[in-house]
Amino acid sequence: MNPLDLVFQQWPAILAGIVGALLPREGSTKQRTGFALLAAFTTMFVVWLWPSSTPVPVSETGPSEWPHLLNLLIALPFVGATAVVFIPRQMLSILRGVTYLVLTVGFVASLWLLTVPMTAGWHFQYIKDWIPAFGIRYHVALDGISLWLVLLTTFVTPIAAYASFGSIKTRIKELCFALLILQGAMIGAFVSLDLFLFYVFWELMLVPMFLMIGIWGGVDRIKAAIKFFLYTMAGSVLMLAAIIYLVWVNQKLTGEFTFDFLALSRVVLPKATQVICFWAFSIAFFIKVPMWPVHTWLPDAHVQAPTGGSVILAAVMLKLGTYAYMRFSMGLFPGPASNLAANLAGVAILGGILYGALVAWKQKDVKRLVAYSSVAHLGFVMLGLFSATPSGAQGAVLQMVNHGMSTGALFLLVGVIYDRRHTREVDEFGGLAKVMPVYATVFLIVTFASVGVPGTNGFIGEFLIIMGTFLSERLGKFAGIHTVGAAAGVILAAVYMLSVVQKMFFGPLKNPKNRHLPDMTVRETLAIAPFVVMIFVIGFFPGIFLDRMKESVQLHHNQFKVVSGQAVLFADERDAKLLPEDTFSPAFMKGAPKKPAAENKDGVQAANAPAGEGKVAQ
Amino acid sequence: MKPEMFLGLSPLLVVSLGGVLLMIAEALGKRHFDQYDDRASGPSGELSIGTAVTLFAGAVFAAAIWFVGPDKLEGVSSFAPWLIVDRFTLFFSFLLCLGGALASLLAGGYLPEHRIDRGEFYPLITFSTVGAMILVAAGDILSLFLGLETMSLGVYAMVGFRRASLRSTEAAVKYFMLGSFGAALLLYGGALLYGATGHTDLAGIRSGLGALANGGKASNVGMSVAAAALIIAGLAFKVSAVPFHMWTPDAYEGAPTPATTYMAVAVKSAAFAMMLRIFISAFGGSGLESLSAGWPPVVALLAVLTMTVANLIAGQQESVKRMLAYSSIAHAGYVLVGVVATTRAGEDAQGSILFYLLTYTVSTVGAFGALIWCGSRGAEAVSYEDLAGVGKRHPGAGLAFSLFLLSLAGVPPTAGFFGKLYIVKSAIGAGFVPLALILLVNSVLSAYYYLRVLVFMYMREPAPGAPIATPMKSGYVTTALVVAGILVVVLGLWPTTSLQLAVEAALASR
Repeated sequence: MNPLDLVFQQWPAILAGIVGALLPREGSTKQRTGFALLAAFTTMFVVWLWPSSTPVPVSETGPSEWPHLLNLLIALPFVGATAVVFIPRQMLSILRGVTYLVLTVGFVASLWLLTVPMTAGWHFQYIKDWIPAFGIRYHVALDGISLWLVLLTTFVTPIAAYASFGSIKTRIKELCFALLILQGAMIGAFVSLDLFLFYVFWELMLVPMFLMIGIWGGVDRIKAAIKFFLYTMAGSVLMLAAIIYLVWVNQKLTGEFTFDFLALSRVVLPKATQVICFWAFSIAFFIKVPMWPVHTWLPDAHVQAPTGGSVILAAVMLKLGTYAYMRFSMGLFPGPASNLAANLAGVAILGGILYGALVAWKQKDVKRLVAYSSVAHLGFVMLGLFSATPSGAQGAVLQMVNHGMSTGALFLLVGVIYDRRHTREVDEFGGLAKVMPVYATVFLIVTFASVGVPGTNGFIGEFLIIMGTFLSERLGKFAGIHTVGAAAGVILAAVYMLSVVQKMFFGPLKNPKNRHLPDMTVRETLAIAPFVVMIFVIGFFPGIFLDRMKESVQLHHNQFKVVSGQAVLFADERDAKLLPEDTFSPAFMKGAPKKPAAENKDGVQAANAPAGEGKVAQ
Repeated sequence: MKPEMFLGLSPLLVVSLGGVLLMIAEALGKRHFDQYDDRASGPSGELSIGTAVTLFAGAVFAAAIWFVGPDKLEGVSSFAPWLIVDRFTLFFSFLLCLGGALASLLAGGYLPEHRIDRGEFYPLITFSTVGAMILVAAGDILSLFLGLETMSLGVYAMVGFRRASLRSTEAAVKYFMLGSFGAALLLYGGALLYGATGHTDLAGIRSGLGALANGGKASNVGMSVAAAALIIAGLAFKVSAVPFHMWTPDAYEGAPTPATTYMAVAVKSAAFAMMLRIFISAFGGSGLESLSAGWPPVVALLAVLTMTVANLIAGQQESVKRMLAYSSIAHAGYVLVGVVATTRAGEDAQGSILFYLLTYTVSTVGAFGALIWCGSRGAEAVSYEDLAGVGKRHPGAGLAFSLFLLSLAGVPPTAGFFGKLYIVKSAIGAGFVPLALILLVNSVLSAYYYLRVLVFMYMREPAPGAPIATPMKSGYVTTALVVAGILVVVLGLWPTTSLQLAVEAALASR
């Protein structure tokens, strides 16, 4: 291709690159290059993803879906972790290099996921028998909902690794190992469609995070790590019991053992059991989210975790709770999920959004404040899910990504100040804007995103959720009150976030220790820059994100509506039942395990085909 | 005697012969006295390998007969009811030989390191395994008792192996007294059963009990109930179920660690085999199996008590070895849940028990082996404090210990997780949902104390001035850990085949 053509085609990117290079006032060449590349790539990314007005011709399976892409994304970190085990611990640069390499390759490979038009249904599906005796299969697939969460994971982990390597200087080998295992397990949990596989990844995540908090954490790290582990494990064993119960019921109904999510969606449990199993699943997820009143592990874990750990924990791991609620609780137990939605929405607003915000307001430790703000923000996400409207669900998925961006950035920023002063008490600071202008600016931008100022990503998500809540039929006559409560939460968010900004950055520079703090270093700036960029990209161009999740969310919503109605109607006092397969969209059921009978049918069809041709010939 | 009959008994014969040869070798071989400092000069070097080879050979023979098919061997059935050679027996023979072989490899590193390098240990462990193999094959109360005593006597001696140590001696005496008491209870129960039914073989007892259920003399019915109570108590002693567990922590703590390993894996597995034989082959189908008044509610109660009490106490321990002892009691509780489930889920539940014992064996051998590895002469690692900072100073030992503890805690995708999963599955399938839930809650409780080891290894530093244990160097211990580690991972990722084998090995319950 003519280089000149390239210039004409890519002019927005080149322009953005020049602007990016001019942005730092007195930066080094390295810094300028970094910014220029970042700006150029972002622009290319936006242009590339811009929803085209002419629909792309879609063939049946999608031309470029390489079925092993998800396997690659999952397996690569595990392979990397195995490699790390065999690298001597003295070779720090090689250890870091391998980690960066694996994470970067993962990120680049995950961008490939965007090339496929996200029509409703499963993409990149890969199925292989794992333990046939129990119908356990390795079944991974992606849809428009998990797409963004996988991308979030591959986007955040490299940044968290970059930030960790900046502040953590001890036991790098263990750190690399933990980061890689964590990455693989998180991606695996987002794409598993086999309940057993999901559970394996879900539990596997705990160990590296436990080590991250426990080894590199703060003073009370051991207590926080154990609390984190036991809380989450207590929730998940209940889920395991419910999974096994569900599988057993399904086996009695169909005669087949299967742990497949799609097949199990058809089971309608008896009324009382349904509610118990719904709670067994949901408590596990609510603990992870975390929702009030099972949120108490979160502030401890966040405050004690190292910066990189907090970023991963807040940006990705909490999303597993919300994602899993959306996928599994709502998918497997739509009846109770729909009946209890109004009450749960009340809990999300009172316990999450309002209580979380009020508690955050009273915190003296900035990191604790950010942790409680997570409780409030995820309250919004859960509210969007409980509202069960398309816009609420879209807002919820977008808000999961948004929260990853803004809170990830906030934890990085808190880490910056902690590395300088080794304290996070708000009272220790004041007037920092005078000594650290760049830091103050970035902090303010991220705060705006977190509060939801228009033009930033937070606004879009919260707006969609609040709109969805107002329009929700599921919440019935309480929808209005819920909306008012949620809107009040937005105001409270502004109160606690802006008051901390005011206290830390403005006013007189009282504390002499703060007088000579250096501003953000190149490393810190580069770590945080992608977050800031994404805040504006999502804020200005939400279309490119919403467009790709639209159909999947719509499918999820329609199906939830139909199936929950059927489930409530069908549910019996005593016996479990099976919904007919045509209740579900065929796009959803693609890849569900077939009974041996179905295979025979295929065989019969194959045998009939020549006969049919023969008829045509006659 | 037909050649097939020899083949049928070959695991037993091979191990017995090996034991005799080992004894001769020990008697004629180089003597070793405690004052020698050189670790390689003792008898352990050769004998440990010899024992491991003998026991692995036993395992290989058991596997070979499995593939030939025990029912195809002509004339083997003529040993019944004294010795029953079926798939159940073969599975357990394999398991016991595996556990014994790994324990003897551990001993090969441990005994010279801690200056108790005397060759008797190896014939003792071999003959004890012979007893255990007789026990799992026994179809008659008499041969059962014979096997039990052969197994136990060897273990009593191994527990008291460290003669100079008061703790070890105390442990041996305590174990001997309570073990004999338990055996006596069993024997008394057997005698009463004979009185009630006129049979000592399990099949005969089964038919006798069946006849009693269809209207027998009231005194005989009463006698059978008393016999069942005594037998359950005796079995509970042997599997160390709460409240019959009091001897376990002391005996486990006082014994040399390889002996503890052997007790925790082989003796416990054999005791569970005996329990299944008696419950299913003798009590099955009679009134004693009734869910309201037979053994199941009693065993269910024992299971709940065992799991909960053991886990609560294990969390309080300061010694890792004692913690592992309580953890092995808790694991017995999990298996008891499976035993209760056999009443309804039948072969599925038995399969889950057998598979669980397999995963438990490899994980426990690994955990004790890693503990042995972490200590060295004069500084045996026993308490949590001893393990502080091991993960940093000796990453290999830390990683191995973590793997086995995570398997014991039931974190996927390790073997221990699948073991627990199958037990829970069969319990839920049999309709014992509360038991399954209690098991799951208990596994969270247990995670606390397993995690504490990880906390000490990775997140603590030894107190200033505290003696820092350096891991020992021993090829034997490493070999045992590598074998156990591979099994933990393989059984965790590809459990299908072994699970099918375990289900095939189930006793016919009819």
